[in-house]
Amino acid sequence: MQGATSRWRSVARTETGKVRARNEDAFLAMPERGLWVVADGMGGHQNGALASRLIVEQLAELPHECALEERLKHVRKCLHELNRRLGQELTVTAARPDAIIGSTVVALLIDGERAACVWAGDSRCYLWRGSRLYQLTRDHSLAQQLIDEKKITTEQARFHPGSHALTRAIGAYEDLQLETIELDVFPNDAFLLCSDGLYQSLSADSISAQLNLSSPHLAISRMFDQVLDGPARDNLSAVLVRQ
Amino acid sequence: MTNQNAADQPVALNDEPNDLTYFAFAENAARSAPPQAPEGLSEMAEILGSRYKLERLLGVGGMGVVYRARDLLREQFGDPDPYIALKTVSDDFAEYPDANALLFSEFALTSRLQHANVVRVFNFDVDMSSKRAFITLELLKGPTLDQLLCDKPHGLPWDELRSIAIPLIEALHYSHQKGVLHGDIKPSNVLLADDGLRLFDYGLGQPMEGLLTGLPRLSRTRFNAWTPRYAALELINGESLTPAADIYALACVLLELSNGKHPFQRLSARQAMNIKLDQQLQRPDKIPQLCWDALLKAIAFEPQHRSQCCTELLHAFQTPEPARRTGWLNHFSSKGTQG
Repeated sequence: MQGATSRWRSVARTETGKVRARNEDAFLAMPERGLWVVADGMGGHQNGALASRLIVEQLAELPHECALEERLKHVRKCLHELNRRLGQELTVTAARPDAIIGSTVVALLIDGERAACVWAGDSRCYLWRGSRLYQLTRDHSLAQQLIDEKKITTEQARFHPGSHALTRAIGAYEDLQLETIELDVFPNDAFLLCSDGLYQSLSADSISAQLNLSSPHLAISRMFDQVLDGPARDNLSAVLVRQ
Repeated sequence: MTNQNAADQPVALNDEPNDLTYFAFAENAARSAPPQAPEGLSEMAEILGSRYKLERLLGVGGMGVVYRARDLLREQFGDPDPYIALKTVSDDFAEYPDANALLFSEFALTSRLQHANVVRVFNFDVDMSSKRAFITLELLKGPTLDQLLCDKPHGLPWDELRSIAIPLIEALHYSHQKGVLHGDIKPSNVLLADDGLRLFDYGLGQPMEGLLTGLPRLSRTRFNAWTPRYAALELINGESLTPAADIYALACVLLELSNGKHPFQRLSARQAMNIKLDQQLQRPDKIPQLCWDALLKAIAFEPQHRSQCCTELLHAFQTPEPARRTGWLNHFSSKGTQG
């Protein structure tokens, strides 16, 4: 159970970027509960922003005074319910009969020495351990699928048309498959949750360099500066979680 | 899917030794004060009509957005439970010229209904600074039927199904008697509160001709909306909303509750009719024949073959089920007929 004396701290930030009219990303940082979330909405207009916000708001309401396993069950159940709500239960108009309200999600739960990460879509969770960067989540995207099938290389995927298309997301497909990873937490571990607007513009080396900084505020600030110095075509969000 | 191995032996993204100075977890690392509100949720703090403070997003739809809000006036006068639901139109839909009229129509229709199983609406108002209309309603707490279906993928036992079906049919029957058509019956618009079921979201409702005169009527030729899996064929074809269309959606919901599966494989009425899925409907053992016959009549694709009011369904579900024969009684009965 994550008590009020949580040893975890976090720094979070979201930006619209330079091109998009609105920010469809949302994040949640509740270190006192050991819960952090990043969601990247899709569907254009306001719909994407509402979907990602609905996800973080609903996850913030879940019971938290229970063991990690129970909390994980609540999170998964909530995401399945939202998938149905945003998909099968959506009212559509004649003008936009194929409207989609959907969002990626990556949620990190920590309780004592155990952590769990649950996700759908291409928002990521990285682990910073022993001065090395590990990507805990595998993207649910066309690019990742093509890489897995050995049809393209990681480098080719960056330029492949439609490679950012999602193969899983909340609200986008009738049957949601969430992926979950559980792990032991080591004393100096740090976690970075982020949307693709952040990691698409930063190399693994550059993320590592910032995570190695002593100040999490500075780390987030430098990562955002770096992305915002470039084209910043997408919304970008990140939550950095440290002890 | 659980992928524990990947985490137990993670693969570094960059296997090159990282020789950067390691300060990450120094004692003097920046510490942030405990946040007053969860980070990421603060931008929801908005006050509408100088009175209602938006606190949480409860739901989104194709057109509307529903928040949990705190009524600051009621709070000021000491109301220990000043929470309400507040519905407004989404930013995108606000550009539609009739958006506020649609919301007023929902208010006008719902306010004419006073029934234990229909949501109570409080007020229609306009926030002067944003020029945005909103309605306030009782805040409902409890699972909606779509959440219940996620929990019970094989459907509900008969007693539970019946205990939901009767108040739901009664709520719709009452609405129709008062001249109010719902227009968007589906699992997420029915909630099981502690004090009973509530039917809500009359956002696509219409007054029935001849019963509620003088109320604004939205023309479906100018504005048409539906939920594909629960909309009757004629609604998808752009025809007017009728009690029979509500009954089609109601039957879809009741059949889905019975076995956890949408009666037509989650297809729209048009798609299901094209491949004659109605001919494949099979009565689950738990549903008595009388109810099944009423459900089949309620779910007919063609409106002229469908029940035109809720009476038959209500009667079927209210009729006590004949005692089920046990194996011993069946044996006795079959011997009797042979003799």
